[in-house]
Amino acid sequence: MPEVMTRTLWEGRRALAGFAAGTALVGALYAGFYPQVADGAMGQAVQGFSPAMREALRMEDLTSAAGYLGSSVFGIIVPLVAVIWGVATGARAIAGEEEAGHLDLLLAHPVSRTRVVLDRFAALTAGAALIAAAVWVAMLAVRPGADLGDVGVVEFAAQCLALALLVVVFGTLTLAIGAATGSRGAALGGGAAAVALTYVIQALAGQLGAGALRHLSPFHHYIGGEPLRHGFQWDGLATLAGTALVLLAVAVLSFDRRDLAT
Amino acid sequence: MSEVIRLEKLTKTYGRRRGLAGLDLTVGEGEVFGYLGPNGAGKSTTIRLLLDLIRPTDGRALLFGTDCRRAVAHLRRRIGYLPGDFTVAPRQRVEQCLDHLAALRGGVPRARIDALAGRLDLDLGARIGALSKGNRQKVGLVQAFMHRPDLLILDEPTSGLDPLVQQTFLDLVREAKLAGQTVFMSSHVLTEVEAVADRVGMIREGRLVALDTVAQLRDRAAHDVEITFVGPADQAGLAALPEVSDLVVDGQTARLRLSGSPDALIRLLAGHRLARLRVTEPDLEHLFLAHYRTDDTVEASRA
Repeated sequence: MPEVMTRTLWEGRRALAGFAAGTALVGALYAGFYPQVADGAMGQAVQGFSPAMREALRMEDLTSAAGYLGSSVFGIIVPLVAVIWGVATGARAIAGEEEAGHLDLLLAHPVSRTRVVLDRFAALTAGAALIAAAVWVAMLAVRPGADLGDVGVVEFAAQCLALALLVVVFGTLTLAIGAATGSRGAALGGGAAAVALTYVIQALAGQLGAGALRHLSPFHHYIGGEPLRHGFQWDGLATLAGTALVLLAVAVLSFDRRDLAT
Repeated sequence: MSEVIRLEKLTKTYGRRRGLAGLDLTVGEGEVFGYLGPNGAGKSTTIRLLLDLIRPTDGRALLFGTDCRRAVAHLRRRIGYLPGDFTVAPRQRVEQCLDHLAALRGGVPRARIDALAGRLDLDLGARIGALSKGNRQKVGLVQAFMHRPDLLILDEPTSGLDPLVQQTFLDLVREAKLAGQTVFMSSHVLTEVEAVADRVGMIREGRLVALDTVAQLRDRAAHDVEITFVGPADQAGLAALPEVSDLVVDGQTARLRLSGSPDALIRLLAGHRLARLRVTEPDLEHLFLAHYRTDDTVEASRA
């Protein structure tokens, strides 16, 4: 494996291990509540919510396993925790390292700027895959005990793959902002703002009568096709992967063009 | 002798501020070049341009005859670089840090790293974060020298080193020169580089204001001489010597500046009884600047 990539993973190993374990744990914990809500108590509780509200929170169907997991576990908690790792990692990848003064030395070695961006992206992708895999394993572990047998192993895999790509998209966006500006603050702020904005778009576009806007949100491509019910949603996955690759190209080109900060 | 570094009208502007203004300079293979200037004069800017960390506003820089904006990875294979501010992740051990940097270059023999660390008295097992500034600088020196690069680019290499380690560093530079390696090192004090440099260039406000060999500087260097006679000083005799200038006589003591051969002075003094004789080499830096001050003013008035 390329030295810069393995080194990046090694240096970020503690954060990655923490986030993988944390995301899996919090996902398993919430998934474990399913038997309590399956009897309809929770469904009744949210009957008082307006239909628009229920749609926004993906709570139209809380009684089925796929419905419950899609609203709570994979609808908000797991993706947000995982995406926080992605944004933090993306901000550190170029701009954070640059501000720490580490890039001058690295780039005085026989490593091109493009290579550095590609290796850092590869490390981000590997980390996202690890977090998603940890969530997948956790779901399979609680599946029998928490009555989640209706959702198959493949459907969980489909949702977890989408989760990995979602993390990669926001991570790469943050990395690209950092690569273009050299500012860790701008990267973190831009990445976090994009997460919040696109989450809201995905949740509210329907009620605002602007359903098409949804397609601008990575969250829509992540969960809109309900992978927990229908398995792999290839168009959504392809959109996420394509978005990440375009952002990667932007990162490579803009980073190669500018002066490094001292 | 082929050119290892060639700067052609190299210019870098930061916004409205001038970093470098049309710098022309060549450094030949096997040469040790001392690059001098006060802080902020443009030394680091030049070095970062050479490494393609920043891009010139105008002009170009060539390394081994190739524009340093091209074949970047290939060129850097032949370079060892010590940044002016050597910073690496603090939580790793020295050994891990050096292994990683060696791996980026496709590996360096373990014995080489051990030998360098031993000579510099650097503990490979220490954590980077726990090192003093001087010891961290040693890590930077080891990684710059370890792969025996064709060109060493060292930005303020002696900063933070104690005098003993500075001597070891100068030995390393001499050995590199003997091995045919080229060394480009910056400093803000001439005395740090004069011991090893073949040539020195001085940069001020982004312009090269002086460029000369150390040997020529030495030849030109006048000595300050202080003579205490037993009995009255021989003012007339001293004043008659062509090599003597700035003569000041104060009772039995004469102070003068001697340029060129000391022969005539020694012969004159041999005819007298002396109580004390002191000869000091003046600060080369002042000499250097004094010599070039005129050019500098011409340059400035033209600009």
